Amino acid sequence: MRATIPILAFAAVCSVPLFATSYYLYLTELAMINIIIAAGLNLLSGNCGLISLCNASFMAAGAYGTVLLVNQGGISWFAAMPAAAFLTFLLGAVVGFPARRLSGLYLALVTLGFLELVQIAIEESPDFTGGIRGLKVARPELFGIPFHSETALYLLVVALAAVAVFAAWNIQNSRFGRAFDAVRQSPFAAQAVGIPVARVKLLAFAINAAFAGCAGGIFAIVAGFIDPTEFGVLESLKHITFIVVGGLGSVVGSIIGAVLLTALPEALRGTQEYSELIYGLILLGSLMFMPRGLVGLLNKLPAWKLSERTRKEPAHGAP
Amino acid sequence: MILPLPPPWKDLKRVELSRSGLSCRNRLGRYPASSRHCGKIPDKRRLVFRDDNGSAQTPPAVAKMSWQVASQLALSGLSIGSIYALVGLALVLPYKASGVVNFAQGEIVTLGAYAGLILANFGLPYLALVPITLLLAAAAGALIERVVIRRMMGGPEFTLVIGTFAIGIVIKALIRLHWQDNTFTLDAPFIGAPFRLGPLRLNPAYLVFVASMAVIAGALSAFFFYTKFGKAMRATALDAVAARLMGIETGSVFASAWALAAMLGALVGLLLAPVIGINPDMGQLILKGLVAAVIGGFSSLGGAVAGGILLGLLETYAGAFWGATFKNLVPFAVLILILMARPEGLAGTSSARRV
Amino acid sequence: MALLETKHLSVNFGGIAAVADVALAVAAGEIHGVIGPNGAGKTTLINAITGVVAAQSGRISFDGADISGLAPDVIAAHGVGRTFQHCELFGDCTVIENVLTGFYCRQPYGAAAAALGIGKARRVEKEARQEAHQMLAGFGLADFAGVRAQDLPFDLQKRIDMARSLASNPRLLLLDEPVSGMSEAEANDAVATIRQIARDRGLTVLIVEHNMRVLMSLATRVTVLNQGRVLATGSPDEVRSNHAVIEAYLGEDA
Repeated sequence: MRATIPILAFAAVCSVPLFATSYYLYLTELAMINIIIAAGLNLLSGNCGLISLCNASFMAAGAYGTVLLVNQGGISWFAAMPAAAFLTFLLGAVVGFPARRLSGLYLALVTLGFLELVQIAIEESPDFTGGIRGLKVARPELFGIPFHSETALYLLVVALAAVAVFAAWNIQNSRFGRAFDAVRQSPFAAQAVGIPVARVKLLAFAINAAFAGCAGGIFAIVAGFIDPTEFGVLESLKHITFIVVGGLGSVVGSIIGAVLLTALPEALRGTQEYSELIYGLILLGSLMFMPRGLVGLLNKLPAWKLSERTRKEPAHGAP
Repeated sequence: MILPLPPPWKDLKRVELSRSGLSCRNRLGRYPASSRHCGKIPDKRRLVFRDDNGSAQTPPAVAKMSWQVASQLALSGLSIGSIYALVGLALVLPYKASGVVNFAQGEIVTLGAYAGLILANFGLPYLALVPITLLLAAAAGALIERVVIRRMMGGPEFTLVIGTFAIGIVIKALIRLHWQDNTFTLDAPFIGAPFRLGPLRLNPAYLVFVASMAVIAGALSAFFFYTKFGKAMRATALDAVAARLMGIETGSVFASAWALAAMLGALVGLLLAPVIGINPDMGQLILKGLVAAVIGGFSSLGGAVAGGILLGLLETYAGAFWGATFKNLVPFAVLILILMARPEGLAGTSSARRV
Repeated sequence: MALLETKHLSVNFGGIAAVADVALAVAAGEIHGVIGPNGAGKTTLINAITGVVAAQSGRISFDGADISGLAPDVIAAHGVGRTFQHCELFGDCTVIENVLTGFYCRQPYGAAAAALGIGKARRVEKEARQEAHQMLAGFGLADFAGVRAQDLPFDLQKRIDMARSLASNPRLLLLDEPVSGMSEAEANDAVATIRQIARDRGLTVLIVEHNMRVLMSLATRVTVLNQGRVLATGSPDEVRSNHAVIEAYLGEDA
């Protein structure tokens, strides 16, 4: 029974190219990319409770990594994307290493420092990354089928998002998801049942980075152009907004948050300044008045609450 | 950042520094000293000096890092470090008092500068608008604490860290909505030509920065150690619950700490505005302030001051030796190194480490 | 040979000796009680054994292996489980998830397998869930499987803590004040439960308690601590009639 909703949603999303214009297709692709990001960040910050301000850097690593592997390494796109995602996974482990022993504030600072370092690295290597000017990205070909076709690219993005959500859901309901939650709530008790807290935090960072790296890779193709201004602190905060608004710790929440916050600024169609103001206000408002996110609000409705108690295999809800 | 640095010193073959000091030349042509051609050639051969007529000169006395250059750099480093120290102070204060780091502090600096701009547009001279801006800033700081921070204080650390970022986003967006990305100027009495003091060239703005930092550091020390309210703040920082039990109104303490930090931020904005201009990106300064605070361990005000000065000096010397790229890297490299090796800073106690 | 043994164990906190030169020996299958007035160093002892605090000197060995200085999660993986005086549950998680978390070490699948949801991971998960449900049923928590742990009353939380500690299938279970905060009836229930679990699973149990009556009825051997030092060791009767113990608990006139 519970599988029908996701299947219906997936079918609905797949059918969008039938009636949408090119612009809305692009918008939906962005929403799918944001879903990938949010799903990964949710595991790190929602489940494991770790603050990361460098998520945009992982996305940048995936984006620039994919492009560089293709341009300089001569690999095909469809090997480059997973390869870049894997490299980003390793990068996440590198960042997660100091994270093991650091508490919230200091962790935020380390990730902030890392983000700035990556920014500088991108800007100061114009031979590789195009520097401040950015990099143009060509549309890839798969076995000779050019992805100039909008629909083909769109379906690829949707497929990736579906895989990401599937993976995030599985991880969350596995021993790793439980370990993340345990480490967040009581590291002492987690250790007492044999959970290696430091390694789990490292894994959380690495997995999150892999998701963001994937998203970055496909973003480079979809957007056709990447530059360092898209991977700064503000972007990281936008990613955090997805999961705060949706509901920390909830996969469904990350989907809702990502979709809503991709659609909203576009719907209001203001200038960039308005868009940032809105993000800021939404983030602030959620933190102040809706700390459990939209999923948390929905859980307060009687019907939802009832189903939560009678479920035999309760899925992980919002914290 | 805002201070003109001397050209990078390197022993180079084929790259020449002319007497006018602001360009270098290799066989491909002449380049400004800030270009990467002057900074990136790693060879360690002899420096060739040519004057503007093209005839070779013996290297002037400043070919190596002489005391004069070193002290000039030290002065630059000290003065920019004073700014960093002030920002660091403004970060450590509310953290010590209420356990919250205000990641919007950079935007408070910006806000102070723009507030000064508004008052200047009303015709107020600099010396008059400074105290008014400081008062307004204090009110703003207390307001933010009461309305926003107080609400989020019981919750998880995540909420507080991200929350202050969100405040910053909102402030910066509002500023950009009204003033766009234009840069404005502000007149101040300490803007003037550099004057000579012995072998050193002193920019009066530098002196004001250093003097402000010294005065404020002194005033804060006196406040915390000799006044009753200052002692109350220290007590609250150590143990808020115990402080409340002793009859200290922790609410006022929190609000005052934030008001004080906002004043410091606005002061920094007003000091910087005449020197670098007013634009919405001034808030980037917070990163330097964070590094300063971390060097000091985020637990001591003296540490933040020392950290800021140290950072200013490190940056300035790194820029002189290795060029602009390294100068930009220094703060973040230092930040990460300290957080990884010794998160309690160079002075603090090890409460930063957890399980 | 003792399953758990400490020799000359000393733990200092800033100059104060919380545990001083403690020698403890727990034989396999035994229910060993550690008793002492408040501040005697009982919880510190458990924390030292489980690796949460570092001992300044002495050795701790478990099943012949030296576990001094090992990380808490490594010690737990060796087969040492514990409960907490204040439960330390994962409050946001449901009861079943709390217990399932305890299965971490017994589920040998990797993150990639988990993410893809393929065969081995799914099978292991399913088995774990079945076993977890059975454990909940054994503790009378079956109706609360889907309830958030922090929403439940304290006595149920204690049971969850116990179930979770058993989920990792330990050979030695350390119970930290298992009946604190309980009424007499609840305490009696807890005693019966502990006795039954120890018997059914062949567990060795080390109980730290300051409730004399409960401890004496449950333990087969008792160690008395006072101010970090061992006062006496022996069977409950021997200890009960030991002069030094009586002095420490009741004062010198008793």
